[in-house]
Amino acid sequence: MKEARALAPVDLMQNPRDSNRLLVRHLLLPTIFLTVALAGGLRVAAATGAFLFVAPPLVALVLAVLLMLLFARGRLIDLGAWLNSDHAPLTNVSHALTLIALFFASAQAFNSVLPDAGLFRWMFAFFFLWTLWNNQFAAFDARRLLRSLAALFGTAFVLKHMLLASLYAPDGGWLKRLAGALLEGFTQGTLTGTQETFAPATGYISFFTLALYVLGLVLLPSAPETDDRDAPEPETSSLVIQYRRLSPEERTLLREEILRTERGRLEDEIHATRTD
Amino acid sequence: MQPNLIKSAGIAWTILYAAFVVWLYATAPRSFTEATTGASVVAGTYAVDEARFRAARELFGREQYAAARDEWARGDPAVRDARTQFYIAYAFYREGWGRVYNDDALFRQGLDAINRAIQLSPAGALSVDDPELKIHSAAELKAELQQGTESSLGDLNPLKIVRERK
Repeated sequence: MKEARALAPVDLMQNPRDSNRLLVRHLLLPTIFLTVALAGGLRVAAATGAFLFVAPPLVALVLAVLLMLLFARGRLIDLGAWLNSDHAPLTNVSHALTLIALFFASAQAFNSVLPDAGLFRWMFAFFFLWTLWNNQFAAFDARRLLRSLAALFGTAFVLKHMLLASLYAPDGGWLKRLAGALLEGFTQGTLTGTQETFAPATGYISFFTLALYVLGLVLLPSAPETDDRDAPEPETSSLVIQYRRLSPEERTLLREEILRTERGRLEDEIHATRTD
Repeated sequence: MQPNLIKSAGIAWTILYAAFVVWLYATAPRSFTEATTGASVVAGTYAVDEARFRAARELFGREQYAAARDEWARGDPAVRDARTQFYIAYAFYREGWGRVYNDDALFRQGLDAINRAIQLSPAGALSVDDPELKIHSAAELKAELQQGTESSLGDLNPLKIVRERK
């Protein structure tokens, strides 16, 4: 009875680790990236407290394309492993949706840190483009790329939501007074009056959006391991995988069973190896 | 849990959530209340606040037309109820009507409201069964409002002052 239990076909999802990995890849990651896509364009008007939903501008989509290329170059995403004809159709569809969600999350992450109008918007866009374009030709690994992106978004966040927010504060932040004194009559009105002022909640939303985006990137596996029952897999490796999923008692029973039937041949093989 | 079940659930959830995000950006609600109202319209559970509707009807009866319109607007925040829009149009008509001349601005707002009511009514023909009103159908009210905004030789007729407000 015990032997029969030990040798019965095992459920591939018996291991909670595998379940968790699947849940992260197929449920949590799309949720994180779509939440970033939702919150990245959300602003709160200072005067009325009303929500404003800003769709990703064209420049944010271009930046997101460059970033996706960078992900592929830096091996943060192994596209061939994510979308592969060896995967089951369901797996490919799920992976494709996750990658699409990642694209829009990237676009909205840029949208979240780009100023909404004026000269600064174009300056930020230019510096983002310059940085991403340069990075296309730099040597990157996934970890360095992640650190570089965290720094890039962090810097943009500080510039937009702390420095520029102070510059455009309706009650006149410290930076506004300083810039007003330094640049009076020099900037032809590009520093004042062209930006809509947002409530401080906008900065908090942007902060959590970017944190969530970076968390999503950290959780994103470079090459998701195959978990398809119908994917072609070498028989031996499949056996090893199934063996590792057994409980310690089941493993002991299996080893005893193998030793019982194969002991003679195994001893001969060991003996032959030693004499060689 | 089966891997295929997790993947199917993931795909369904991702598509639903993405549709929700697209809907939010398309409708751009300005507050949580607007968002929940919009969601209830999509889900088909939206209903006019009857208490507010009745309160507005009372104000209308006391000739407090502007207050009545505000109350109706609050009772139908998604502007989805044909009957409420009919009453709003009627309030514009009553307030804008004059024995010598009509208030064109109010009549035009009334026309907008009655057009909304006609669009929202399932068959395009809306009739309100209220004994205190003299106009019961949306088409009739629309004609009255349109006539009120148009200039004609009949406007110079001195007998106009003996006509009745409906």
